[in-house]
Amino acid sequence: MAVTVLLPGLLADQAGGQKEFELDAPTVGAALRALPVRDLLFDEQDELRPLVNVYIDGTDARHRGGLEAELRGGETVRVVAAVAGG
Amino acid sequence: MSLAILVGTRKGLFVIRGDEGRRKWTVEEPVLPGWDVFHAIAHDGTAYVAANNFVYGATVQRSTDFGKTWERGEGLGLPEESGLTLEKAWHVEPGSDDTLWLGAAPGVLFRSEDKGESWETVQSLLDEPTRERWQPGAGGMCTHSIQIDPENEQTMYVGISAAGVFRSEDGGDSWTPANKGTAADFMPDDPFPEVGQCVHKLLVHPAKPERLWQQNHCGVYRSDDRGENWDRLEGNGLPNGFGFPLALHPRDPDVALVVPEDGAENRVTSDGRLGVYKTTDGGKSWQLSSKGLPEPAWGAVMREGMSYDRLDPSGVYLGTQSGSVFVSPNEGEEWIEAASQLPPILSVEVAEWH
Repeated sequence: MAVTVLLPGLLADQAGGQKEFELDAPTVGAALRALPVRDLLFDEQDELRPLVNVYIDGTDARHRGGLEAELRGGETVRVVAAVAGG
Repeated sequence: MSLAILVGTRKGLFVIRGDEGRRKWTVEEPVLPGWDVFHAIAHDGTAYVAANNFVYGATVQRSTDFGKTWERGEGLGLPEESGLTLEKAWHVEPGSDDTLWLGAAPGVLFRSEDKGESWETVQSLLDEPTRERWQPGAGGMCTHSIQIDPENEQTMYVGISAAGVFRSEDGGDSWTPANKGTAADFMPDDPFPEVGQCVHKLLVHPAKPERLWQQNHCGVYRSDDRGENWDRLEGNGLPNGFGFPLALHPRDPDVALVVPEDGAENRVTSDGRLGVYKTTDGGKSWQLSSKGLPEPAWGAVMREGMSYDRLDPSGVYLGTQSGSVFVSPNEGEEWIEAASQLPPILSVEVAEWH
């Protein structure tokens, strides 16, 4: 169930410069929580921060079950900061 | 000895290096791009930064290699039972040995015992019984000032907008409001409440720790009894009592500098100039001390935007919302523009860091 997770520049800087991660994870949430920038994606109640958008192969994860969305393997999961933040 | 000015801005951290005369300054490329750097200090060779991002939240980050790489402190977050969510990290203050303190919004405090690797909530401030009477200031309910008595590390103070000043005499295990004499004019039914004051900046004098100074929403104040009583310092030269930053003299407890603004409804520097005002008599009288500062100018200096060094003569440093850093190598007698065209400046601190 290896997937590729792509981070935007600011998060990649916080992950030692690494922008692309190959991970084994059964769900989107598990993939994000395995990242070294987990604390920047999730607040102290372990909720995804509201201005963090996640895409699975180009589709908003919200339309595919959110963090519970299952990953079969081979997907690209992309983290994008919402434009709404300003 | 050469100093570095650590300048926290809306778009990262800038380090400005000076020569021994503190007159020639060079700006380096920004580090931590994309972060609102609310406060940056250097202590024992490590830089600590309270950095916030509107998407990714509040962090405190440290660098032991002069800004090349950064590590985030762990454990920043509030307990679920508090019902509060961490908003922004505001101020880092070194304690003794490996201890550090972090002030944050909403009106909270964290402590690290391992040089900033991990942090714990200071529960005593969360549980402060007056908390329900606190209210946020315009920038949020921020714990922006943390001061440790240099002669007794068990005595410390926090300044919170708009809750007021609190003193602890047991190293942060318990707190007492210390707001007697400071006004809260925005509460007309009780302008001198026990808590709820909008303190903007609190400093303890390093050579006379019973003397505290405070720039408040409602005036400039001095206490000579560790915050038990405050005297309002008005008129006698100050164009307005409203302002944000405060600086002291490292050896002379009668000297302080402020940057008055028109008022809460118009937060620009008073009288159409970037005016620093200085007292040398404990606040009885104040003089404009602005030679070299721009006029006309309508600027703003944030509460963390002015600081001083411990050299002789003492240098004073300030940064504006318009992106300029000014340095006085001689205690406010004259000012030099050390940098311009930076992003809006949130904090200015000076350190040996090279």
